[in-house]
Amino acid sequence: MQKDIVQTDADLIELSKKDPEMFGLLMERYQGQLFHYIRRMTQLPADDIQDLLQEVFIKIYQKLNEYDEVLKFSSWAYRIAHNHIIDYFRKTNARPQTNSLEDYEWEKIISASIRIEKDIMNKDCVEKVKVCIEKLPLKYKEVLILRFVQELEYEEIMDILKKPKGSIATLISRGKEMLIEKMKEQNINCF
Amino acid sequence: MKDLIKDTIGKIKKQHILPESKWKYLARKYGVWFLFVLVVIFGGVSLSAAAYLLSSLDWDLYNFMHQNRVGYLLSIFPYFWAVLVGTFIIGAFFDMRKTETGYRFSWLKISLVTIGSILVLGAVMFFAGLGGRFNSMMASGVPYYGQHMMVTKESQWMQPQDGFLAGTINSTSNVVLVVSDLNGKVWNVDFDENTLIRPSANVSKGQMIKIIGTQSGSDTFQATEIRPWIGGGMMGGVGGQRNGMGTGRGMMRGN
Repeated sequence: MQKDIVQTDADLIELSKKDPEMFGLLMERYQGQLFHYIRRMTQLPADDIQDLLQEVFIKIYQKLNEYDEVLKFSSWAYRIAHNHIIDYFRKTNARPQTNSLEDYEWEKIISASIRIEKDIMNKDCVEKVKVCIEKLPLKYKEVLILRFVQELEYEEIMDILKKPKGSIATLISRGKEMLIEKMKEQNINCF
Repeated sequence: MKDLIKDTIGKIKKQHILPESKWKYLARKYGVWFLFVLVVIFGGVSLSAAAYLLSSLDWDLYNFMHQNRVGYLLSIFPYFWAVLVGTFIIGAFFDMRKTETGYRFSWLKISLVTIGSILVLGAVMFFAGLGGRFNSMMASGVPYYGQHMMVTKESQWMQPQDGFLAGTINSTSNVVLVVSDLNGKVWNVDFDENTLIRPSANVSKGQMIKIIGTQSGSDTFQATEIRPWIGGGMMGGVGGQRNGMGTGRGMMRGN
């Protein structure tokens, strides 16, 4: 019966503490967003992403009592996923990649960073800019993905990364600047 | 692709995974705040002790030490407490950043809150007299502190070879004061009509005084100025009185 009523995230959290089946409803709401976030942050096959996502959901379940309603549940879940990805990179000594982005996702970052019209985007040029973005440090790549691909608000990114809003704005602006600098270094001037 | 939801819930049930208890989370959450409060209190105590030391020193002594003001300030600055205050400010800053919502505040706001809290608490403790008490506790309980780590009022006025002496008057006559210094050594302090006695200095038996002058022997001292132990002795009049003890010949020093 409870499953048929539209529940808020907070309600589902309370219900999940008593019945793990109810946690399935929360997972259903957020598995898509989190799956794409993990995919964008890692360069892993779908099965591995699912394994990571399952670990993330189990962590979320274990930490349900830590959830504070001053945060959006999605921001809190992203934060757990972000920490899990960082731990994963540490454990595996893997270098984070972003070349698992789809073309439309690259375009979002590129057009947000460089003033261009979408219709004059040159395919070769986009490929060159991708290489520059891949060379950016993780912290800059991540904010660019969260802001321009996941399309999250500054407040949400602030809650996910646990950094002040000013620092987020600085990271985004610095990320864009670094991208433009890298493009100049590579003599990419096709927009 | 596997059914992630079904698999995950199955795993939770099979492995009997449970949400961690709330008290662990609350203990962590409030533990960080408790630590913040503790660090601010320590910062306040350190600041009040530094303020007490600075306020109890005589700021015009550089004239008698042939030093300039800056050199004098550097020689008496309470570095020990200043380093502690700095350490506690930094500790409180990072502790506040570690709180549940600390990341939401800018560095400037957190700096203002931590420095402001320590300043306010330090001021309250100083005016409540806790800074002085804490200094006394440190001086009596930590031997190295009073002797080497701090220029205290006591150490400043126990340098007879440099012309500074302090103690309690045992007896008085028209030309000599018998004074037990802060270490208990007895001195004969000579004075004459040229000796400046500050207006609020009470030169009588049992009173604590500070004396500026010259050491003339192993236990004799020629006084050029006498001040009360507490303060500069300027309360109660402008300038000072030339020795007129028992003579009724008091003279005001012209400024």
